[in-house]
Amino acid sequence: MTSTEFQARAAGAGRAEAAAGLRLIRREYQLAYREPAFRALAIVGALFAILRASTEGATGALASYHVWKLAVSGLAVLAILIGGAAATRDKRDSATEIVLAKSMGSSGYLIVARFLGIWLSFLTVIAIMLAAAAIKQVAGGTPWHLGAYANAFARCLAPLALSTALGFSLTSLLANPLAGAVAALYWIAIPLARAHIPQAADMTVTQHWPAAALIAAGIVALAAALHGRPVRGAGQPRIRLGWAAAALLVAGLSAAVGSAFSGEDTLSHRDEVLSAISAQRLEGSDRAPGFWADDGQHRTIALSDFDGRPIVLAFWGPANPESARVIAVLAEVARKYKNEGVACIAVCLDSDSGTVGPFAREAGPDVTLVWDRGQHYGDGEPWSDSPLGLAYEVKSVPTLFLLDRQRQLATRVDSLAILALDRELTKLVAAP
Amino acid sequence: MQIEIRDLRKVYPGGVVGLQGLNLTIPSGLYGLLGPNGSGKTTLMRILATLLEPSSGEATVGGFDVHRDKAAVRGILGYMPQEFGFYPNLTAYETLDYFTLLCRITDKQDRRRRIDEALSQVNLTQLAGRRVGTFSGGMKQRLGLAQALLNDPKVLIVDEPTSGLDPEERIRLRNLWAELAGDRIIILSTHIVADLAASAEQLAILHKGKLLFAGRPSELLSPLRGRTWIIDIDEEELSPIRKEYFVTGVFRSATGMQVRAICEQMAHPRGYLAEPTMDDAYVHVMKQEAGNAANDLY
Repeated sequence: MTSTEFQARAAGAGRAEAAAGLRLIRREYQLAYREPAFRALAIVGALFAILRASTEGATGALASYHVWKLAVSGLAVLAILIGGAAATRDKRDSATEIVLAKSMGSSGYLIVARFLGIWLSFLTVIAIMLAAAAIKQVAGGTPWHLGAYANAFARCLAPLALSTALGFSLTSLLANPLAGAVAALYWIAIPLARAHIPQAADMTVTQHWPAAALIAAGIVALAAALHGRPVRGAGQPRIRLGWAAAALLVAGLSAAVGSAFSGEDTLSHRDEVLSAISAQRLEGSDRAPGFWADDGQHRTIALSDFDGRPIVLAFWGPANPESARVIAVLAEVARKYKNEGVACIAVCLDSDSGTVGPFAREAGPDVTLVWDRGQHYGDGEPWSDSPLGLAYEVKSVPTLFLLDRQRQLATRVDSLAILALDRELTKLVAAP
Repeated sequence: MQIEIRDLRKVYPGGVVGLQGLNLTIPSGLYGLLGPNGSGKTTLMRILATLLEPSSGEATVGGFDVHRDKAAVRGILGYMPQEFGFYPNLTAYETLDYFTLLCRITDKQDRRRRIDEALSQVNLTQLAGRRVGTFSGGMKQRLGLAQALLNDPKVLIVDEPTSGLDPEERIRLRNLWAELAGDRIIILSTHIVADLAASAEQLAILHKGKLLFAGRPSELLSPLRGRTWIIDIDEEELSPIRKEYFVTGVFRSATGMQVRAICEQMAHPRGYLAEPTMDDAYVHVMKQEAGNAANDLY
């Protein structure tokens, strides 16, 4: 056999093996997805998504934000529990001995395939929810952006991988469903006790996706390394896979710890710049508080970029869907006063770095959206611990501030009535 | 191809003895394992199938040690456990496809061929597309056998395969053993002697983890030749005859009652010599063991 022939044959065998691997994942997916629980989840999830997409003024970004929120909180807890149940599926269906007596019965690959099967099942539920919301919006004539739905889906990947890995791998590692239940409790405790837990422990937020993905991969690798390990000393556990698992877990935990000591969080670390921003005061100062903030599309926006122009600065948060309408109002204002140079800025109060992007793309270039990096919400209200919210003394959303060309506060408005805005803006524009 | 078992011992946690120092060589062909419940049949089969670690001693399957070379043993092994189930939401075909993947059979055509063959061997081709959750006990039992045949095993271990089957299916299976045996080893455990009578080339009788007999069926029967009798009796004679003779079976016929008995001399006027059966031999071995145990006690 020539070396080319050999290579061709080896490549053929490799392809067949890869195809068989995909087939195994597909079977594992069927095993997971055909559980009746998934049908119920998909139906309930789709109804929820349709409901969110039907609310007054809901755009694609807003509807997909809520689907994302439900997915990484509620659905993720279910993923832990269902993942845990799937780890004991062989036992429940009395198939343990048949599986174990097969060549691959105690192989680590089987664990990885099973994990992927369950994870893909949950991603299917999320895709169905997003599709339901999208169809509802298209049918209702609401303008929508495919990008917002794709973005929400992508942001679910890491948190769902982590929760599935926690439930499935911990249960198969410890051979006890209780392990999954403990992980689920942790997941629930994070939003409930966030006044006492640094936000770095919250793996659902988009800025922590590398940590979540690494830890998920690490847990799955650990379960694969230890799966089918001999009861009494015979054979070798998979040492190399074990090291890989350890490396992944260390990297993931370092990423989490790193974010705890670099972010803005009263419980772990205060960022100097953000502290300085939040120390400014609106009342009794010549100029309205300035800031640098991220626009969700990897650009830093400073208030000084708009020097010499009248500014409408609006605060809103996706947790209050009503306040998201401020973006549409700002877009209208921006169009109307384009020639007068009025700048429209919407500040998003949310803990997640990924929230603002889809809203910004939806709003178009006339409105500038920025994300106020408040990372820790002591009393549960998004403005209470966010630097800009503190500086502008925001007490509810939406709140609008009209600043004149000298960046002095002209008016504070907390309604979205466009007429009132018009009146104030006419005055502002006329002023030097 | 043979299985070597040397001084195999299994003590379960809590001190329950599964096997006490078993020595056995199992050659190619159909090998029967007989014994009452709790005799150690399942323990032995699970050790050979690499699912249970022996406490001491060793066993090799086709030269591979069941303790050290688990992967190699599993590669040539088909195992059908005594009690098992399947994933209810997969069809029979999908179930078998899943298990061929777990057998590391990567070629697509090869997988399809093996699945079709296994389905037709157990007569499930018609039900290939049906979800396993809707299967009856007998269908599941047949699917259990099909999954054990997927890798064309050199060693097929089946634990109580005929339980839950109707008579027709049971006969089908008996024919299948004969067909499959060839140059492979089939170890068949049962407590139904008739399952083995037709086709087992060799058999072993286990009792409380000990080997009572190992050899050809003819070796089991030959000592009873010329000592096995049928006696036509009246119903009221049964109790005194039980005391007098070593009775291996009682039957009711149209004309009255018959007992089968084993003894050197027959004093009963209506007793006549008969060909010994496997049932006679099995009951004889078991009763002798019970007698020995009783003697040990006193």
